[in-house]
Amino acid sequence: MKHTTRSAPLVVLGAVTAVALAACGAPGTAGAGSKQNSQSLSSPAQKSGTLTMVTKFADPKYAPYFQGVAKAYEQANPKVTIKLEQVGDQPYKDKIRVLSASKQLPDIYFSWAGDFANKFVRAGLAADLTSVIGPDTEWGKTFSPAALKAFETNGKNFGVPIDLDAKYLAYNKTAFAKAGVNGVPSTLEDLLGACDKLKAAGYTPIALGNQYGWPAIHYMTQLNAYNVPPATLAKDYNPATGEFTDPGYTKAVDQFKDIITRCSSKDDNGVSHEAGQANFINGKAAMHYLESVEFQVLTAKGGAPKALADNWDFMRLPAPQGAAGDTGALTGAPDGFMVNAQSKNAALAVDFLKFMTDQQNAAKLTADIGWLSPVKGSATASNSFPQLQAALTDISKASQFAIWLDTVTNAEVANAYLSGIEGVIDGSKSSKDVITGVQQAAAKAKKQVG
Amino acid sequence: MNTTSMRWRSLAWVLPAMVLLLVFVYYPIVENLRLSLFSWNAFSVRPTFVGLDNYRTAFGDPIFWRALRNNTVFAIVSLICQVGFALVLAAVLEEFVHQRLRGILRTIYFIPAVISITVAGILFSFLYNPQIGLVNRLLGAVGLESWQHSWLGEPGTAMGSIIAMSQWQSIGYTAILFVVAIQRIPSEMHEAAKVDGAGAVRRFFAVTVPMVREMTTLITILTISGAFLVFNEVMVMTAGGPSNSSQVLGTWLYRNAFLNDDMGYASAIATVIFVITLAVGALQIVVSRRRRIEW
Repeated sequence: MKHTTRSAPLVVLGAVTAVALAACGAPGTAGAGSKQNSQSLSSPAQKSGTLTMVTKFADPKYAPYFQGVAKAYEQANPKVTIKLEQVGDQPYKDKIRVLSASKQLPDIYFSWAGDFANKFVRAGLAADLTSVIGPDTEWGKTFSPAALKAFETNGKNFGVPIDLDAKYLAYNKTAFAKAGVNGVPSTLEDLLGACDKLKAAGYTPIALGNQYGWPAIHYMTQLNAYNVPPATLAKDYNPATGEFTDPGYTKAVDQFKDIITRCSSKDDNGVSHEAGQANFINGKAAMHYLESVEFQVLTAKGGAPKALADNWDFMRLPAPQGAAGDTGALTGAPDGFMVNAQSKNAALAVDFLKFMTDQQNAAKLTADIGWLSPVKGSATASNSFPQLQAALTDISKASQFAIWLDTVTNAEVANAYLSGIEGVIDGSKSSKDVITGVQQAAAKAKKQVG
Repeated sequence: MNTTSMRWRSLAWVLPAMVLLLVFVYYPIVENLRLSLFSWNAFSVRPTFVGLDNYRTAFGDPIFWRALRNNTVFAIVSLICQVGFALVLAAVLEEFVHQRLRGILRTIYFIPAVISITVAGILFSFLYNPQIGLVNRLLGAVGLESWQHSWLGEPGTAMGSIIAMSQWQSIGYTAILFVVAIQRIPSEMHEAAKVDGAGAVRRFFAVTVPMVREMTTLITILTISGAFLVFNEVMVMTAGGPSNSSQVLGTWLYRNAFLNDDMGYASAIATVIFVITLAVGALQIVVSRRRRIEW
C-alpha cells in the first residue's frame, strides 16, 4: 500500500506525459496525402458560412482596403462571415508554414508566384481553380493573361492574381538634365555611361539599400532574364533540373558588379531599402530601382517633395548589348490568393475572390492604395496617376514576367544568390564564387526534391 | 490528516504547474529531439527518418560553425562588459558618486534596458548608416576617415556592431543588479577594511568582489545563456548578413526552419542550442553549491 501511494504521483506524471506525447504523430503526417474536395467551385446558390482568410497586408496603408472589401461582401451576403487576419510580410512566411504544418490553413491565403506557390501545389494544399479562372473562362478573361500565367503549374491555374507589380528604374529628370544625360539610356552600357556623368555632377547615380538582401536580387532577376535563354532559365529555376552552368549567369553577376562600381556603392549592404529610397526622394540620388507598387511614395500624395514629384519618370533596367536571353522580359509578378484544397467552403471562397476582383473593387485597389490590378481596364485617369498608367501599358508589352529570383527558385538557390550578391557588393566575392555557390545549392536542391 | 491524504493534497497543489511545465517545456524539448531525426518541412507529405543526418549536416556546415563562433564571441564580450565593466561601474557609483547624482546616473544607465530591442536596432541602424550615420560623421569630424565603415554592411564589422549595440543596452541593467548586491554588503566590512588601511581598489577586490559572488554567478549564467539564445538583435539589424557573416545559431535555425524549409535541420540546431544552455545551467548548479559567504 505504501509503495502504491508513493508511486501515485509518478503514475499521474507518466499518464500526462503519455497523453502529451501521444498527441504527436510523425511530423506533418496528419491528413497527408489528402486530396482536394471534389465539390463544385461555381458560385453557391445559397451564400452562407464562415470564411477564413490570411493576408500579408497588415501595413496600415494596405490593410483597410482588404478589410473594406470583406465588409462589403458581408453586407451583400448577410449570412456570410469573413474572419480576416492580416500579418506583415516577413511574419507571414512563418505563419503560413506553421498553419500548413498543423493542417490549419485558412480557406483563402496569400501567395507569391513561383516556387512559393508551387510548394502548396506540390503538397496538395492549393485548390485547382482552372475550371473557374482558366484563361478561357468568363472570370479568367477579365485578367491580364501574363498575371494568370504566373500562378499556372502544369497547365492548371492555382491562384487568383490580386495585384500587378513590376520593377522599374525611376529617374530624376532634373538630375539627368543637370548632369547632361540626354535621353533615357537604352542599353546597360549607356546606363553605365550615364552613371559616370551623374557621379561627376555630384549625384549618387543609383540609390540602393541592400540591408536585407532582396533589393539586389531584383537586379539579378532582370539580368539573368537578359543573359540566359528562357528555356535554360526555366530548366535551372526548376529545383528538379537546376544546374546553373550557362555562362550567362556569370555575365549577369559581372554586369551587376559594374552597376555597383559605377552607379552605386560598396557600402549598400549597410543601408536599408527605405534609407536608399529616401536618398532618391530628397534629390541626392538620380535613380532608384523600385517596384510599381511603391510608385505612390514618389508622388505628392505619397509625401514626396514637389521637386521630385513633378520631375520623375521611369524606365526598365536597360538590357546589355547582344544579350542572349529575353530582352522583353520584365522583373515582377502578381501577388495572389490561393484557395485551400481541403476547404469545405471552397465555392464560397471563390465567390468572394470573384467579388474582390470585380471591376469596381479592382479600380478601388488602384484608387485607394495605388496598386495596379491585374483586372483589365481597372486603371484609369480618374483613379491613378500618369506614371502608374504608363507602367500598366508597359507591363502589357512585356514578353513575360521574370518572377522574383528569391521566390521563383528553391530556397537553397535563393539563399546562395542572396549571400553571394551581398559579397559582390562589399567586394569579398567574385562572380565565379557566386555562381559556384549557386551551382552547389542547385545540386543540393535537386537532391532534396528527389 | 494521514500521510496519504497529505501526499494527494500536495500533489493537487503542484499538479497545475507540473502540467504546464510538461506541455510547454518538456514536451517541446522531447518533440524537438524527435523531429531532429527526420527530414521534413511544413509542406512535407511524408517526413523521412534520417537518423543523425541533420547533426552530420550541421557539423559539416561552415555557416553553422560561423554562427557558433559568433555566439561564443558574443558571450565572451558580454561577460567582459556585462559582468566585468558593470561590476566596476556599480562599485564606482556606490563608492565615489554623491547620493543625489547617483540616482540620476543609475536611471541614465538603466534607460537603454527599457527600450524595445526593435527600436534600439533601428536606432543603431541609423547610427551605423555609412552615409548619414553619427558614427561615421564623428570619425570624419576627428580626422579618422580611414576608420569609417559600412558598419552593418561589411562582413568584418557587422557582428561587432551588433554586439556593441547589445552591450549598450544591457550593461546598465546588470550594473543595477550589482548595485543592489553591493548595497547588501554590511557597511562594517568596508569600515573594518578602511581601518586596516585598505584603499578603494583593495576594498573592491577584498570585500566587494567576494561579497557579490552569488550575484556575479547568476549574472554570468544569464549572460552566457542570453548570448547563445540571441536572436532579435541580429534579425533587426542584419538578418544574419552580409553573406551570412553575422549569423548566430538562433537566426540560422530560423532561416532553415522558415525560409529554407528544412525543419529537421532547424530542429538539430535547436538541440545544439539546448545542449549548450543546459550545460551552462548545470554549471550554475555546481557553482551555486559551493560554500556561500554568510553574515
